[in-house]
Amino acid sequence: MSTLIRLEVIRIFRNKKVVFFTLLYPAILYMIFAQSSGRIGGLSVKLYVMVSMAAFGAVGATLMSTAQGISQERAKGWVRQLRLTALNQNGYVISKIIAAAATSGPAIAVVMLVGGLVNGVRMPAWQWPVLLIALWLGSLVFAALGVALGYLGSPSTIQPILMICYLGLSLLGGLWMPTTGFPTVLRKISEAMPTYRFGAIGRTIEAGQFPHGADLAVLAGYLVVFVVLAGRLYRRDRSRA
Amino acid sequence: MTANGKTTGVSVGAEIGRFEDVRKDYGSVTAVDGVSFTLRAGETVAFLGPNGAGKSTSLDMLLGLREPSSGRVSLFDGSPRDAIASGRVGAMLQSGGLMEDVTVRELIRLSCDLHPHRRPVDEVLADAGLTEIADRRSDKLSGGQAQRLRFGMAIAGRSDLIVLDEPTVGMDVSARQAFWKSMRTIADSGRTVLFATHYLEEADNVADRVLVVNRGRLIADGTAAEIKDRAGARHVSFDLEELPARSLLEQLPALVSLEVHGRTVRMRTSDADATVAAVYGAGLYPRGLEVTSVGLEQAFLTLTADDENHTQRNDEQGALR
Repeated sequence: MSTLIRLEVIRIFRNKKVVFFTLLYPAILYMIFAQSSGRIGGLSVKLYVMVSMAAFGAVGATLMSTAQGISQERAKGWVRQLRLTALNQNGYVISKIIAAAATSGPAIAVVMLVGGLVNGVRMPAWQWPVLLIALWLGSLVFAALGVALGYLGSPSTIQPILMICYLGLSLLGGLWMPTTGFPTVLRKISEAMPTYRFGAIGRTIEAGQFPHGADLAVLAGYLVVFVVLAGRLYRRDRSRA
Repeated sequence: MTANGKTTGVSVGAEIGRFEDVRKDYGSVTAVDGVSFTLRAGETVAFLGPNGAGKSTSLDMLLGLREPSSGRVSLFDGSPRDAIASGRVGAMLQSGGLMEDVTVRELIRLSCDLHPHRRPVDEVLADAGLTEIADRRSDKLSGGQAQRLRFGMAIAGRSDLIVLDEPTVGMDVSARQAFWKSMRTIADSGRTVLFATHYLEEADNVADRVLVVNRGRLIADGTAAEIKDRAGARHVSFDLEELPARSLLEQLPALVSLEVHGRTVRMRTSDADATVAAVYGAGLYPRGLEVTSVGLEQAFLTLTADDENHTQRNDEQGALR
């Protein structure tokens, strides 16, 4: 299975579109946004936007490395082909999730590197690895969502579904702009988004605190929902052959 | 023992797979309707039938991709899934897709690594005729090249049984010949090969045994020669000055079918020598006697047509009752 995982990772980084959207685009946006001075919610703009863009890249990386491939490979029969090998029955999905993690890690790291080296972000040394690991683990929630979407969409519908989820979650979850300026109703909706909680966890770490229970609970709740949904759609797909 | 040789000790002729009264329904449509057969080690078996005959569904069940609605499928005394997991089966599907953004070599290496009894990558590339296109991306291949890649993936390990679904679709004539040449090498190393095809000459030239399926049922099982015999292997035709009673012609030995148009008699017979001798023996003087052989293609058309007529008659009888 290690060969399959390696191939899954290699091909993601061969895909120029994915590399641009997950590695370059968030880093470039970060360089632009971080120019403004001032503070948002007790953090400097540089710190605040670093988490936003790292999260934005990580969500894109996990969704793109799972949903698109799964829906296309189901339709084209690659999934059937793999079932004619001795690969573990769940090996395909497992390798997709590992590949998603292997993509979201660099996506987060690139933005943090830009923060430290270009934008002059300063944090206590322990916060850097803790933030990286927390965001990295949190991105697995979106890998589960990506797997579910991959088993839900057909190759012709997956592209719009993916973009709506990706951009919708990023915008509503306050990854592009702080939700403090949102009207009350929109702010309530925003707070219910997994992306909002994902960003909030990162920012509490930047503030030197342990993540809030509410953020962790909501994100964990989403993880359970996405995993159950993905599992159900996955089994439906298997039984169809 | 060569690199192609088997790693497991299945003696030639031993039973390795079995279909027992297998049936597959999709809603009200019956795709496979009570098929039974046994596969024996060392055979090269063609699974022959027109499109929609139930070949692909049968292969899917043989490979554990679909569950039969009733009946039983076993491979190597276990379930198809177990046989695949232990590396005893290598298979190539018509509907088998390829991973994109990776090279031919990378995909073959993946298949080799996934196989419990892997073969060296370069050897597989050579056997499947992929060496020259090894560094090409899987999504940039022609139809025939993609088929060869699927074939390479099916022979990436030392499997006892190789299952191929319409392996030469999309190949031109020379690619097809090259394909069957490498296929024979594999069959000669003692492995069992089962392939589905609707190219009759492939079944005729390559297979030791032919299973003919039509409308979900197995209508013939034997060597190509036996199937031709069953369909009436020879056409005999001649003209007569004076027609005898039809009953006299119907009593001719080895007769399979008989048509009389004007003074021309056309027959199919499983033993042309005996039939023709009996024609003279009956005191008839045939003119313009012609004896021609029936190819497997003709035999196949005859068998499927007989099957259809038979089914239709049954349906009509059913309607009358």
